[in-house]
Amino acid sequence: MKRIHKTLRRRLVLGCALAIGLSMPLTTHGIALAATLTVMQSEAPRSMDPGDQTATYTAAVLDPIYEGLVRRDPDLALRPALATEWSADASGLVWTFKLRQGVKFHDGTPFDADAVVKNFARHLDTKRGLAASGRLRTFLDNVTAIDPATVQFKLKTQYPAFVALLSTGPCLIVSPTADAAGTIGTKAVGTGPYKLAEYKSGEYVLQEKNAEWWGGAPKGEDKIKWTWTAENSVMSMALQTGDADIVNPLPPAFANQLKNNSDMTVHASDGSAVFWVSLNTKMKPLDDVKVRQALNYATDREGLVRAFMQGYATPSNSPLAPVTPGYDRSLAPYDYDIDKAKALLAEAGYPDGFTMTTIVQEQEARIGELLQAMWAKAGVKLEVRRMEGGVWSKAAFLDPAGKEKDGIGSSIASWSSGVSGADLQLRPLYYSKSASPTGANLGFFSDPKLDELIDKAASTLDEKTRNEVYGEAQKVVNEQAPHVLLFTKQDLYATRVNVNGAWMIPGGLVVVKDAKK
Amino acid sequence: MKSYIFRKILALPLILIGVSMLVFLAIRALPGDPARLMAGPEATQEAVDNMRSRLGLDRTLVVQYAEFASNAVQGDLGLSIKSKLPVVDEIAERMPYTLGLAVCAYLLAITIGVPAGMIGAIYRHGWQDQAVMLLAIVGASIANFWLALMAMNTFSVGLGWLPLLGASSWKSFILPSVTLAVLPTAVIARMTRSSMIEVLAQDYIRTARAKGLAPGSVYWSHALRNALIPIVTIVGLNFGSLIGGAVVTESVFNWPGIGRLLVDSVRYRDYPVIQGVTLVAVTGVVMMNFLAELVIAALNPKIRLD
Repeated sequence: MKRIHKTLRRRLVLGCALAIGLSMPLTTHGIALAATLTVMQSEAPRSMDPGDQTATYTAAVLDPIYEGLVRRDPDLALRPALATEWSADASGLVWTFKLRQGVKFHDGTPFDADAVVKNFARHLDTKRGLAASGRLRTFLDNVTAIDPATVQFKLKTQYPAFVALLSTGPCLIVSPTADAAGTIGTKAVGTGPYKLAEYKSGEYVLQEKNAEWWGGAPKGEDKIKWTWTAENSVMSMALQTGDADIVNPLPPAFANQLKNNSDMTVHASDGSAVFWVSLNTKMKPLDDVKVRQALNYATDREGLVRAFMQGYATPSNSPLAPVTPGYDRSLAPYDYDIDKAKALLAEAGYPDGFTMTTIVQEQEARIGELLQAMWAKAGVKLEVRRMEGGVWSKAAFLDPAGKEKDGIGSSIASWSSGVSGADLQLRPLYYSKSASPTGANLGFFSDPKLDELIDKAASTLDEKTRNEVYGEAQKVVNEQAPHVLLFTKQDLYATRVNVNGAWMIPGGLVVVKDAKK
Repeated sequence: MKSYIFRKILALPLILIGVSMLVFLAIRALPGDPARLMAGPEATQEAVDNMRSRLGLDRTLVVQYAEFASNAVQGDLGLSIKSKLPVVDEIAERMPYTLGLAVCAYLLAITIGVPAGMIGAIYRHGWQDQAVMLLAIVGASIANFWLALMAMNTFSVGLGWLPLLGASSWKSFILPSVTLAVLPTAVIARMTRSSMIEVLAQDYIRTARAKGLAPGSVYWSHALRNALIPIVTIVGLNFGSLIGGAVVTESVFNWPGIGRLLVDSVRYRDYPVIQGVTLVAVTGVVMMNFLAELVIAALNPKIRLD
């Protein structure tokens, strides 16, 4: 009797003591939340090094900390940043940049030509293997310092998107000291208006104003805190309670709900993420262009946009997004026409339709289901395989033999080239050398004419001529239909109504360094 | 008693070795490549291969396991692929949050579940019993996840009484612990009820009543004490599922514990973290079971044999 009481009592006391003791550090743990802009995204940052990752949401986190030789402004024009002026020679292969003076990295390292050279050298070094180097290596030959305030870039071939690329990812300038020390992956050190105050892995990234920024006093809030959640409803709730000032990306389902809430502002703008179904051109019957075209006719894009995106998307008429220079809005390749689809299938020898599979990640699973219902009307039985992120990633990038073995007829995904130009949308997806696993041409599409057009456009410096070539390229992609092109997603994000100064780079990169509440 | 304890302690390293090998192989058998997931979809295959090599993942499984095991024995669980921080540090930082949550949830579950079960047993077949049974079934069937979101919407967004996310103050504990406590409360209530019913039917209870003892004394001092053994067993065994429940709860509430660490590490196939968290969790479960067995042995001398 007494023994049981003692044991229970002891446990209760111990439990209470533990609970109280554990809560003690928490009360002193709280970060000063005054004048902190909190941004909530849907995933955690993958690295603090902009050259070693390619995810858009990570790029958003790193944007206040790092700068490139040029920068993109809210009107989407490119302006001087770490470089003050630049020019190219007659061949378009040699570019000279004059660097801004008096700039220092957050760790005190001076910014000069040597720093720039080291930054690009690490990407050109094939042994280093940084995740974002790929693009640069296709056209950049070398970078040299002419004097401490001037650098010269030598390109292998003319590359119209060169200057645009200098404002992104691998071209953002990191501190060579931090890179050499091997800490840049977890301790961001750049030249930007904000510096890294704290990176609590798995929890948040806290940034604070850089008092010594060359651009004067940073226009945004004192601190920026980046958090994330995988739950859509939590994003919406966090905005309502004020736990987040900005959420990105806002799921379309919540956009309509929050639009009517006077405490929030929903921002929708033209995006650059094109959603598609990549058809395995090496697998019967998808090797027949008529079959691929039939699938395009059997797809009700307007219906998809309504059902899946709540109207926050533009049905596709081209492999390019409307914001991409060179996009041809006059193209109208495929109406929603079930009869035409059936006729084409009959022509190809499948009057009764056929069965095929598609692999899809959880976020796009509903697209698969909607297509299943649509294509059934034309006699095509679509088997939808939902896969977890990592599993999908592996399956989608299999080579032809692998996909044959697993019976993978198609994959549903999206691709965004931001505002960096048509080459970065067409080359990775449709160029013959980009066939997976090397690149993102998941359906192994190969058309020599298209390859030629892509290469021609990539080295045409005159914008008008270049866009004409891209016009041709779009027609080829539409006609050969390696993808069933679905829609271009609008960029949706929401802020509390008192937040001003945030803006969006097409592709989902929300810029918050000038935002105040 | 001493040899009993000694044998139990000896079993722990063997269990850990077995579990670590199993987890090591299982996560590497999972499709999904940590190098590709870290580098992102736009990275070229060349960059991905290079990253894999940088992470040491292109070596043979035997070599990788040998390195892991020899380090683990010295207390080094390796570096997280994602954060490059020592796994031991990552876990140590988050452990108190999960433990705090588990303790609160368990305290809630016991203080509500045991009396509820007792009431059910004492007023058997009455409306009180029906109510307890109904609540227990609802509690056991309800989706942890859905309940969390409902609770957040009502108490944080709607009423504004409690914080929505994170672990910034004592108030932050309330919603997550209540959510986590629902299932164990239901299980403990049912277990207490059945155990009590059995005990209350015993002769010595009739004797106690006949002696004229107050009902409170009969129920608490005599009946409950004897009914406790299966309850303690359940409480000890349930600890494992509490960790499992914590994974979901922590993810929804952005609770900085090891459950959330585990979810994130699986998403990115962060092998060292997955291995480390699993080993720590297994150790915790084994310890709790062991503790439960000790308590039972203390309660009932007859059980103090092997």
